[in-house]
Amino acid sequence: MPEYGKVGLVLSGGGAKGAYQVGVLNALVELNIPVHIISGASIGALNGAVLASAPNLTEGTSRLKEIWHELANDSPLKHQAPSYLKLLSAAGLRESPLIAVAQSVVSVAQHYGLPVPEKLHQAMHSGVMDDGPLKALLDKYIDHKALSDGIPFYVSVFRSAGGLLDIAIVLAAELRLLESRDSEFIHIQAKSVQERKELLLASAAIPVVFAPRQVNGTIYSDGGQGGWTKAQGNTPISPLVDAGCDIVIVTHLSDGSLWSRHDFPDTTIVEIRPQSSIARGDGVLGGVKDLLGFDESKITSWIEQGYQDTKHCIGQILQAGTARKHLKESEQALVGSEKGNAHADEALNDALSRLS
Amino acid sequence: MSTEQQIKKDIAESLDVLPMLADKFVVDFANGIHVTNDHIRVQKQRTGFMSRLADGFTGAGASRQTEINANLSNGVESSLKWLGELSESLAQSNYAIVCVNNRLNTLKHDVAKIANYSADTRQLLDALSVQVAERCGRLEDEVARIGLMQNAQINMDVVFSKWDAGKYHHLSLANRCYVALEELHWGAFGDFCRSNTEGKDQHHLIGIAKNKAISQLNKDAMTNSAMRLSAKDWLATPSSPSAATLVEALSYLGDAANDVKQPFIYSATQQPTQLPLRMPRLCSAERMSNAMLNEIFGDQAHA
Repeated sequence: MPEYGKVGLVLSGGGAKGAYQVGVLNALVELNIPVHIISGASIGALNGAVLASAPNLTEGTSRLKEIWHELANDSPLKHQAPSYLKLLSAAGLRESPLIAVAQSVVSVAQHYGLPVPEKLHQAMHSGVMDDGPLKALLDKYIDHKALSDGIPFYVSVFRSAGGLLDIAIVLAAELRLLESRDSEFIHIQAKSVQERKELLLASAAIPVVFAPRQVNGTIYSDGGQGGWTKAQGNTPISPLVDAGCDIVIVTHLSDGSLWSRHDFPDTTIVEIRPQSSIARGDGVLGGVKDLLGFDESKITSWIEQGYQDTKHCIGQILQAGTARKHLKESEQALVGSEKGNAHADEALNDALSRLS
Repeated sequence: MSTEQQIKKDIAESLDVLPMLADKFVVDFANGIHVTNDHIRVQKQRTGFMSRLADGFTGAGASRQTEINANLSNGVESSLKWLGELSESLAQSNYAIVCVNNRLNTLKHDVAKIANYSADTRQLLDALSVQVAERCGRLEDEVARIGLMQNAQINMDVVFSKWDAGKYHHLSLANRCYVALEELHWGAFGDFCRSNTEGKDQHHLIGIAKNKAISQLNKDAMTNSAMRLSAKDWLATPSSPSAATLVEALSYLGDAANDVKQPFIYSATQQPTQLPLRMPRLCSAERMSNAMLNEIFGDQAHA
C-alpha cells in the first residue's frame, strides 16, 4: 500500500476533447502525483490503455502527447458516408429526436414481430464512420504485453441494444423519461488480447458514428451511455472505489457535468473540471463538432486547458492544505515548546532559590 | 527562469502535494469550490429562453442547482468545521499567550528580584569597596610604616655597628655620641621619627637608640651606669693627625647649637673655653646620651 493510499484516475469520455486529459496528465506528472489504477470511458478508455501499457506515468503521458499530435494531423475518423449524412447522423446523437423516434419505431416493430426494412435494421448496428484508422492507432500505440503487466485498468462499456435504440434511450434519459442501464466496467487485463481490442473499440464506439463491437456474444458500444443522468458510465469511478482507492482523480470532458461526487461520500475525490468553456464549436452542431473535432488548433488548446485547470484545481487544494498543515504544525510546535516550560521554570526557581 | 527550471521547481514544490490530496476534508472543501465554479459558469451561460426551457424540462437545471447547493452546503459545513478548528486553535493560541504572559510576568518579578538583589549587591560591593580601600590604605600605611621602621632599625644598626667597630674613636666621647645620633637624625631613623605615624614606635626606637648609645658610651668610656665622668673627660678629643680637621668639621656641623637650649651639643662641637651653665660638670653615660637625644630629636625623644 502506498504511503498516502492508492490513487485512482478516472478518464471520462468526450471524443476529441480527450486531448484535455493529456494536459491533465502533464500537470499530474509535474506535480509528482502517482497513479496506481485507471479507469476510462470512450476516449478516456483509449487514453487509459496507452497509460496502462506504459512503464510509468511520465512515459505514458509522453506517448499520449505524441499520439494526440498525430491525431491532430491525421484524424482517426474516416468518413464512410457523405458529409451531409455524417452531420445528419451526428445531429441525431445529441440534438435531433428524429432518428431516435425512428429507432423507437423499429424497436417496437421488432418487439411485436413486425417486418423491418433491412437498410433500417443495418443502420441500427453500424456506424457512419470507419473505425479502421482507430484500430490501426490502437495496434500501433498499445503494447498488449506491457498492458498485461501494467497498472490495473478498467474500461466502461455499454451493453448495446442497437445504435439507434441506444441513442433513443440516451435521449429519453436526457429528458428524464427513463434512465439508461448502467455501463459495465471490465478489468481489461483479465481479458484476452483480442477481447481487449474489442472492448477498447467498444468503449469508444460512439453510437451511429462507430459500429458497436461484439465480445463473447454481447454487443457493446460507448460506455459513456450508461447511467446517463448521473454520468455513471461516462465517469467510471465505481471500479476504482471497489478496488480500494483512497484518492480518485476524476477528469471531466464536458462543461458542468452533472456527475456528483456526493454519491461517493467515503472516497476522497479530486475533480478536474474545465474552468472555462471546453466547447470550441458554436451553433447547433457545435457539440458534435467538438466530439469529432480532431484538428490541431483544438487539440493544442484542450491540452493547454487541461494543464491549466489541473494546476488551478490542485493549486486550490494545495493552498488550503498548506494553510491547514501549517496550522497543525504550529499547534504541535506550541505543544512541543510548552513541554520545555517545566524544565525552564525549575531551572529558574532553583537559581532564584539560591538568592534567598 | 527557464521552462526546465520552472518545471523542476514545480516538482520540488509538489513533493508535498500527495499528503494534501489524502486529506479528504481539505479536498472536499477546496475541490468543491472548483466544481461549483464549473456549475455556476454553465448556469450563467444557460439564461436564454430555450436553454431555460430545456433545463427545466429535462431537470438538468434543478440537478445542477442541487449539485451547487450540495457543494455550497458542504463548503459551509467544511467552513464551519474549519472555523471550529481555527477557533479552537486560536483559543489554544490565546491560552498559550496568556500562559506566556503569566510566565512573562513571573519572569519580570523574578528579574525585578534579581535586579533588586543586584542593586543590593552593588551597594554592598560599594561599601565593601570603601572598606577594602580604607583597609588597603591602612595596610599601605602600615606597610610604609613597617618599611620606615625597618629602614630606621637598619640605619640604627649600621650607625651603632660603625661606632662599635671604632669608626668614631678619633672623636671625643661626647662627639661620638653626637655624630652617631646626628647620622641617625638625618638618616632613615630620623625620617621614621619625623613620619606622621603613631609615636609609640618612634619612642620605642628612640629608647633602643638611647640604650645602645649608653651602652656604647659606657663601653668606650669603660664605665658603667653608676659611674659619672667629668665634662672634660666626655669632651676630650683624642690626639690624632686629623684631630684639628675633625674639630673644625664638627664645629661647622654643630654651629646651630645653642649653649642654652643644646648645651651638650654646643659643648661637644664648639668646644668653648667656658662650659655653658647648663652643661653638667659631672655626668654619666646615660645623662650624656639622654641629653644628646633630647637636643637632637627634641620632643620626639619624649614622645
